[in-house]
Amino acid sequence: MQEFGREARILAGRKIYFDWEGFFWDSGDWSEEVAVLLAWEGGLSELTATHWKVMRFFRDYYAYHGRAPLNRHLREGTELSLSELESLFPGGIRLGARRLSGLPNPKSCF
Amino acid sequence: MEDIMKKINLKINGRPRQVVTDPDMLLVDLLRVGHRLTSVKQSCDRKGQCGACTVVVNGKATLACITKVASLEGADIITDEGLGTPANPHLIQEAYVLSGAIQCGFCTPGMIMATKALLDVNPDPSTEEIKKAFRRNLCRCTGYIKIIDAVKLAGRFVRGEIKPEDIRPKPTDAKMGVSHPRPSAMIKACGTAEFTGDIELPGALELAAVRSPHAHALVKGIDTSVAEKMPGVVGVITAKDIKGTNRLKYIIGDRPVLCEGKVQQLGDAVAAVVANTREQALAAAKAVKVKYELLPVLSSPQEALAEDAPQIHADRPNLCYVQPVIKGDAAGAFAKAAAVVEGRFKTQINHQAPMEPEASVAFLEGDGEDPVLVIIGRSINIHGSMAILQQALGYENMRYEEAYSGGQFGLKLEVVTEGIAGAAALHFKRPIRYIPSLEESILITSKRHAFDTHIKLAADAKGKLTAMAMDIVVDNGAYYSIGDVILRRALHMLSSSYYIPNIDTHSRLVYTNNPYGSAARGAGPPQTHYALECAMDMLAEKLKLDPLEFRKHNSLKTGQTKATGYVEPDVWPFPELCDAIKPFYERAKNERSAHQNGTIRRGVGLGAAAFGIGQPADKAAAVAELDFDDGVTVYAAAADPGEGNDSMLTQLAAQVLGLPMDKVRAVSRNTDQTAASGPASGSRITYMIGGAAVDALTQLKNAALEVGSLSYSAFKEAGKPTHYLGEKKILETASLDPDTGQGPTFESNVHAIQMAEVEVNTETGEVKILRMTTAVDAGPIINPHNVQGQLEGGMDMGAGYALREEHIAGKTKDWVSFKFPTMKTSFDMEVLTRETPRIRGTLGATGVGEMSMVSTAPAIINAIKDACGVWIQDLPATPAKVKAALSRT
Repeated sequence: MQEFGREARILAGRKIYFDWEGFFWDSGDWSEEVAVLLAWEGGLSELTATHWKVMRFFRDYYAYHGRAPLNRHLREGTELSLSELESLFPGGIRLGARRLSGLPNPKSCF
Repeated sequence: MEDIMKKINLKINGRPRQVVTDPDMLLVDLLRVGHRLTSVKQSCDRKGQCGACTVVVNGKATLACITKVASLEGADIITDEGLGTPANPHLIQEAYVLSGAIQCGFCTPGMIMATKALLDVNPDPSTEEIKKAFRRNLCRCTGYIKIIDAVKLAGRFVRGEIKPEDIRPKPTDAKMGVSHPRPSAMIKACGTAEFTGDIELPGALELAAVRSPHAHALVKGIDTSVAEKMPGVVGVITAKDIKGTNRLKYIIGDRPVLCEGKVQQLGDAVAAVVANTREQALAAAKAVKVKYELLPVLSSPQEALAEDAPQIHADRPNLCYVQPVIKGDAAGAFAKAAAVVEGRFKTQINHQAPMEPEASVAFLEGDGEDPVLVIIGRSINIHGSMAILQQALGYENMRYEEAYSGGQFGLKLEVVTEGIAGAAALHFKRPIRYIPSLEESILITSKRHAFDTHIKLAADAKGKLTAMAMDIVVDNGAYYSIGDVILRRALHMLSSSYYIPNIDTHSRLVYTNNPYGSAARGAGPPQTHYALECAMDMLAEKLKLDPLEFRKHNSLKTGQTKATGYVEPDVWPFPELCDAIKPFYERAKNERSAHQNGTIRRGVGLGAAAFGIGQPADKAAAVAELDFDDGVTVYAAAADPGEGNDSMLTQLAAQVLGLPMDKVRAVSRNTDQTAASGPASGSRITYMIGGAAVDALTQLKNAALEVGSLSYSAFKEAGKPTHYLGEKKILETASLDPDTGQGPTFESNVHAIQMAEVEVNTETGEVKILRMTTAVDAGPIINPHNVQGQLEGGMDMGAGYALREEHIAGKTKDWVSFKFPTMKTSFDMEVLTRETPRIRGTLGATGVGEMSMVSTAPAIINAIKDACGVWIQDLPATPAKVKAALSRT
């Protein structure tokens, strides 16, 4: 029987909760070290400067607005095309970049 | 026969008009469509059941939805817009605002016009005269108490006894504990607040859905060829035209926007027709031919759990979630108990019944390759709904705007019409309006889950609870939605106000072909509290203890464990509430003693609740921004379908920053402007979003202390940011243990005890509620009217749940078949408040919206037992059930 709540994992020596779609439950649990581990799990053996630029944009945008950027904001903020962004992260923008950047799932919190 | 046109001369809001009408044109269409007078609302499918369309015609309150224009030669028609404007309101509109009579505001213009007609002939009406005059006007939010208050206050204004300025709070008055008018109240009073159905969308196509008449069937083919050739039809879409997952997924992706090969419940959508007019779309929808192959319908969890039952969803069993709660040694405690009671308590599937029917509009904004898909609807979780729609429709560039929303009570957590409207807007690249009828809205929306609960409760010789066992089976309906969340909420609050050291509970969530369940006021706890609070009375009776003293005697104390083993860290002011209600209880019992003979018997019953606030791992965000005019705006997606969240955010802002009320604002209804703050559900808004707002406001205040002034120019000169993001997070984050149900639970609670006074007609089985009294402690009160309004509306909703309401798919089609509460079924209410600050409350406060009905039904059922000696263990307690139970005694 599946448990549709939060799943705790130990990553980089810390207990971190993820939701049923693999999103960080709390964006405050994110760290660069954890991002590297998750990227590796997802098939990205190396995070390039471009990856970090995108993730920093995600996190800065969220820290200011309290919500995730939409694609139009990403295009402007990273100066990358949508196809470049989609191909940069396994899982694409939402299930890849956004998740790896530690942003929470907007569907969580009932 | 050809229509015979007729020219009519009439006046609308003082202006002479000439109208050419056919014999069937209704006044509601003339006013709404012809003159854009959108205060004239529609809820009841033009059956004259709800009064939302009430206008004054020749001095009389008139239902515009059943009045033909052809009969109005020479008529003088006044709508709410004709009475006053937000800048220059009428005294009646002022009275509604100042009485706290406006929650969602959907019924308000009709109520105000009924008030106008009444006061014009009777400026000092009695309560009974008001009830008679308003017999055709429905309200789901208020329990009618504050509407009656508003009519009486309007009478005082009209008679010149007092003026609005005599009682209107000043912007500089205290911010906490004062009923400052809601920011949105006046535009709702004057009918200028736009609900989704009021939004002007030039060139919009109208949409009608093709829905399954079967609860379980394979879709073998869809033939749209005839429909596509019909007049005005632009096209038809089916599942294959949706580019995304076609799944409206919160947790499990089992609910399609448009069904592909199978329908799982009555009313599932299989296609959507868009046409130039609504009538054309509806006609064409009927012409879409769908070939079904019928499957067995599983109409109860028992049928769905049978060994040979077909599996409703191919990828998961009908038993879709289980969760036990095991604490201590229940078996041992039952063996040693001085008294044990047990019973089976069943609750019904119910409709949350917001007055506003479903509605959404969708259009593409901007041009180029990636325009914004704008969805305007009634979501209470705009960021979450947008994320669900992005996945379902395969379109990312989106904005969700919440229009003013006509009540919700949990129902608007779910995406319903937005998915189909959005899919059609993307497919046809034209603006789409989808406004289903009330009948369709009732059919397609999520419902309150039915629970079947077997409870066993034990106490020792000193009257202390020692053990509880429950076996809970929940009918989740056809789609998963957030079924496990609802069930876990009930489990988290299983022991409610009490300390119960030993618990053995098992719960099962089961797919059926019934309407899918989701959020509904209280969301799980009302169902289990019905069993627990009735069992408390059974046990008190067995132990020969007074039910109030028994409850107080078993109150949990700070530091003791709740059902999940969590040590309660916060205050627990339940005994004090028992003391607060005691004088009212003794008065009621005394009055009851004089009515124990004859056909009409009086009874008094209690129900308690400790309703959890701040569930583990919950989190919220809000932004506070200092504006050019040195005012402050809070940006947070705190939907406000009637509770008063705009009051809460602005009063908190004014309190934290020491600003007058006219210098604070809240922006909450647009995904492009707000922080993603989670849903307006579970009474989490004040605690979570209010808490995040206070965090942001405190950051702004601290910055102002450094700058030396809360002035925009001073901040800019000092190089200080004017924008601050605040958060609130619940400290505990772990989930319940899947095997034992032990773990952290809600970090605070709102406490209440409710008392019902009823009369039972022992010949007919009819139950009349004389009065409900609630003693509540939710922490410091921000806005008294809002708290009272939630309590009164909740008690009224709880009474309907206890006595009348039940949703039967396909048969519950309107407000009469639903048995909607009316002025006639309304009753006296009293609210007693205490204000014990909570450790992590928002300025000490929690929330009250959901708790308000959690213990209403058991209080009423216990009162029926007190009156005539029978337990009703299957809601609703209809006259037939009461009469049958009496016949068995």
